[in-house]
This record gives sequence, structure tokens and C-alpha cells, in this order.
Amino acid sequence: MNKANKKELGVGIFFAVLSIFYIAESRNVSTFTPFGNRGLDSQSIPAMIGWLSIALSAILIVSTILKDRKERKGSVEQQEQICDPDQVACIDPPAGAKLQGLLQVVPLKLLLSLLFLFFYFLFYQRIGFILSSIFYLVAQSFLLTEKGKRKKWALFIILFSIGVSVLIYFIFTRYFTLFLPRGILG
Amino acid sequence: MFGMLLEGFGAVFTDPLSIVMIFIGTTVGIVFGALPGLTTVAGLSMFLPITYAMSSGTGLSMLTAIYIGGMSGGLISAILLNIPGTPSSIATCFDGSPMAKNGQAGRALGLAVFASLIGTAISLLVMVVLSPTLANLTIKFGPWEYFSVTVFALTLISSLTGKSIVKGLLSALFGMMFATVGLSPIDSAKRFTFGSLQLTSGFNLLAVLVGLYAISEVLSTAGSEQEKAQIREYKMRGLGFTLKDIKGQGVNFVRSSLIGLGIGILPGIGGSTSNIIAYSVAKTSSKHPEKFGTGIPDGIIASEASNNASIGGAMIPLLTLGIPGDGATAILLGGFMLHGMQPGPLLFQSNGATVYQIFASMILSMIVMALVMYLGMRVIVKILKVPANILLPLIVVLCAIGAYALNNRVFDMWGLILFGIIGLAMSKAGIPAPPFILGFILESAFETNLRRGLEYSNGNFLEVFTRPISATFLVLAIVSLAATLYKQYKPKKATSEE
Repeated sequence: MNKANKKELGVGIFFAVLSIFYIAESRNVSTFTPFGNRGLDSQSIPAMIGWLSIALSAILIVSTILKDRKERKGSVEQQEQICDPDQVACIDPPAGAKLQGLLQVVPLKLLLSLLFLFFYFLFYQRIGFILSSIFYLVAQSFLLTEKGKRKKWALFIILFSIGVSVLIYFIFTRYFTLFLPRGILG
Repeated sequence: MFGMLLEGFGAVFTDPLSIVMIFIGTTVGIVFGALPGLTTVAGLSMFLPITYAMSSGTGLSMLTAIYIGGMSGGLISAILLNIPGTPSSIATCFDGSPMAKNGQAGRALGLAVFASLIGTAISLLVMVVLSPTLANLTIKFGPWEYFSVTVFALTLISSLTGKSIVKGLLSALFGMMFATVGLSPIDSAKRFTFGSLQLTSGFNLLAVLVGLYAISEVLSTAGSEQEKAQIREYKMRGLGFTLKDIKGQGVNFVRSSLIGLGIGILPGIGGSTSNIIAYSVAKTSSKHPEKFGTGIPDGIIASEASNNASIGGAMIPLLTLGIPGDGATAILLGGFMLHGMQPGPLLFQSNGATVYQIFASMILSMIVMALVMYLGMRVIVKILKVPANILLPLIVVLCAIGAYALNNRVFDMWGLILFGIIGLAMSKAGIPAPPFILGFILESAFETNLRRGLEYSNGNFLEVFTRPISATFLVLAIVSLAATLYKQYKPKKATSEE
């Protein structure tokens, strides 16, 4: 199965599993029909959404499998190994290729960005807006800066992060009357 | 109507803060539109918390100004970098970039700004005239009519966005699943809360929107290598173009604007589609189609007039039915709700003065947009050089403020991450995001009206077909589904026959 078809199949399976879980959970929803059930109750729409979703997932899965079978008939199946055009010799993929492949799908910068975001929100209320924002801005800006240029940018990024965090805090709390957590500085 | 509009202008011009915010909003929008990798939606998400403390009229004027600026700003990078700042300016690259390459970047910029101005003006005129009339019509809608309109909007958006209708519909249902979390409409039963008090109030619309559009956008940019392009030199005197350039372009201006307007009204697709369609139509109906792509005014005018005309188009269903036309209007819907206004038929009755203030401010924003772009182009071009490593983290910080300040709880911030990841995963899996958003927004209306309709008719669903408006919308929904299925099946058949 080629990459595109694998992706489609993955989408179909994901939605099928999600829909089954969703329908199962919708049965736990309490219903209230004091004047008799003349229409739908609070379980009905989730059940409808779940069943429709299952039907569509099944269509996606079946159509992808049929499409793949059709494509296979007309072409030679791709192999895991890297082969030369004449199929004379096959060599194993180089060491670390799987990790490289994974990083192509989910780049390291993206994973680290998510991690920074997670810690930023985790400490947002605990250490306060100013400190958490300074740490986040410094970390994320460094991550996005090209490796060779980080030294050159270091001072600017640190000063900018401190300045902008303090400025945003005062503008929003003083002039826009929003509440932002003070944390340990309060 | 025009009396109300004059009152709207009065409200704008007697409030200096409103004028300042329109200027700031338009400029911010232009900058966000011009910067490749950042979109109007990110700009709107970033500046939404700033409007919290403003009056509804001023706050929404600023947001609509960002929308107008953002739709126009994309032309700058399309012409000077050959990279569209927003998907709405893809077709501007086709002729704008070659014209700039020929040493006429100033002429291309001047023409594009003028076309944007004309497109916006035509669409705003139609919006001001049509919206109150449509609102008067939709006020007579009962539950069956509302139910049919939501079904029509959901099927249409699923058909029009993305390559697969099945994935479009799955996306809409996925959005509806998240909308069912919390208390059910009508009987307030707890659904999918898993014992969590926070989940009882459901996911906040803004957290969903900002997460799905802005955070996923930032994460996606963080995870990809940025394209570095050389900014072309330009010289622009006066308007940048001569009368000769626009002579004989009247039909092109009006046709492209009407295409943009019509496409803007349809849910889910806006400027990103209309610019390409208008460009194709201009090319096929031209006497010299072979010149398209070499740097002629016709292509620039078609693309820019149509994408800006989508603004007024997308605002019409938002104001009259509460159905957003695109991602930016979805954020605007959140902005309206945040300021205590519910877009829909009653909006003109309950908040008429504010709506006309917004109309007036949109007209003013259109003029400010042209002025800022003609007079401040040099500064905007310099901003294009602001590195993403500084700008992206700042957007996240401001989006986080927006989410936190909604209810002063960190829970909504976790929503940003959740929907940011969902948005990113959907984009990687080729699942369109607009149906998800519309599904999330319309689930409540869908459920409430279907349940009410069935209660009024003692459980008889067939009553929906006895009412002309609801029957028409349901038939249209079926036709749009059937037409898309046929379209998606047809090329496969042709290929298999070969």
C-alpha cells in the first residue's frame, strides 16, 4: 500500500474508532422527557453524529482498500528495502533511517515547540504571566533561530522577551483592564 | 437604511479611539496579510484580547479593519516576493510577479491596491444593501427553516472544501462531536463531561478557533523550513499606474468583484478560491489569453478585485444567519459573541446601531487600507523583513492571553494546545478545517431546531418538506452533495476508461 493510501486508511480507522467510543459514551447521557417522547432527547443527536461518522469512516476505509487493489494490479508493489532498478541487489535502509522518517513527519522543532507551549501553560498561573512569558519567548525564539545565528541573536532575544512581557502585562492590566496572573511576583 | 448608516458614520467619527483602532487594525491586517506564513486569522486571534475592554462597536470595528487589511496585504508579497502572503493572493503572483520582474513593481502594486479598493467597495455596497433585507426575510424563519439552512451550510462546506467529500463530512461531524461536550440544548443534560466540572461548560468557541487556526499555523511554521526570498526593488509614483492601464477594464473589475462576492457568500470558501476562479474567467473571456502570465494588468485586477470582494460576501451570511463565510469571519463571529451580540436575523433589531457603526467603520477601513498601502508601502516592505523567530512566539503569547482572559481559567489555554494539535494533524491528513469549525459552530442550532421542529410537529419529520423554504434548502443540500459526488466520481471513471 502506498503512502497516500496508508494515510487515507489511517484517517478512516481513526474516525471509526472515535465514533465507536463516541456512540458508547453517548449511551451514558441522561435523558429527560416529562411530556412523553415526541421527538428527540439529549442522546439522539450524539447517536446520529456517531452513526453517520461510522458510516462515512467505513466508506473511506472500503474505498481506500478498493483503490489500493486497483493500483496494485497496475504497478509493482513497493518494497521496504531500497533496490536498484534491475532488482539485482537489495540493500537495507541505512541505520537511523526510521528515526529520520519519523522526524520528517513530526519535526523536532515542532515537538519542542509543543513541549515549550505545554510548560508555558502549566506554569502560567503558578509563576505568573511575566516570568512564564519571558521563559517561553526566550526558549521558543532560540528554537526558531538558525543554529549558526543564535549567538548573534542571544542578547536581543533575551532583552526583547523581558521588555515585551513586561510591556504586555502593564498594557493589558492597566489599559485593557484584563486580569493576568501575577504568580510569584505578586 | 442610509439614515442608520449616517448615524453609524457619526458614531465612528465622534469617537477618536474608534478611528485610531481602525487605523491600527487595518495596518496590522496589511502586515499580517503581507507576511508569508502568517494569515489574517492569526492577526485577528492575536488582537482579539485587545478588544475585550473596548465597546462592542469600537472592538468589532478594529477586528473588521484587520480583516480588510489582511485580505489586501497578501498582494505585497505576491508581487515583491512571488510568494502569496495569503492564499487569497495566489493568482496575483501569476501576473504581478512577472510585471515586477520586468521592472514595473510599482505599477503592479498600484494596480493591485486599486483593484482591491474597487472589489471591497462593490462588496461592501452589496453587503450594506442586502444584509438588512435578508435579515428581514430570515426573521420569519421557524425551527425547520433554521434546521434546513444549517444542513445546507454543512453539506455545502463539506462539498466545497478539500478533495474528498467523505473527509469533508467527517470533518464537520468531528467538529459537531466537540460541540456536544457540555450541557445539551433544551434540557441541559450533561454530555461527555467525564465528571469534569470544566467540561460542563464545553469548549469555548474562541479557544477552538484560535487553536485550530492560529496555534496550528504557528506550530506548522515552526516545524517547517522557511522559504527565503529576495524582495524586489520598486518605485511607485502617485497611484503607480496610468489611466491607460485601467481603460477597458470596467467589465473585468465588476465581473471579478461579483465572482468574489458570490463565492464569499458560500460558507467555507472565500478569497482563497475566488481569486483563482476570477483569474481563470478573466483569462478565458479575454481577447488575448496568451498574454496572461506575462505581467498584464488584467490578471492582477481580476485576482485582487475578487479576493477583496469576498469580504462583503462572507459578512452577509454571518450577519443575517450567524453562519461564517470563512476562517476570518468565524473569528469575527467569536468577536461578536464575546461582545454580547449574536449574529443572526435579530442582530439588526437588537444591535442595529452597532451593526451600522461596523458598516461605517468597514467603509472607512477600506479607504484607510488604500491610503496606508499607497503612502506607507516603504514601511510595510521593511516589516516584511521582521524575522519569524521573533514574531511567532509573540503571537502565541497574545493568543494565550485571549484564551485565558475569556474566563480567567487555564482550561481554555489547554484547549488552544488540543485544537492546535488537531488542526495540525488534520492539515497533515488532508482533512479540511472549515467544515470542522462550521460543524462546531452550527451543532447547537442544528440540534435545537431539529428537536424543536419535531416537538412542534409531534415527531413528524416529513413536515420539513411541507414548508417551501426548508424544503428548498434541503433539496439544495442534496443537490450539492450529489453534484460533488458526481464530480469526484467522473474523473476517476475517465481515467479508468483510458
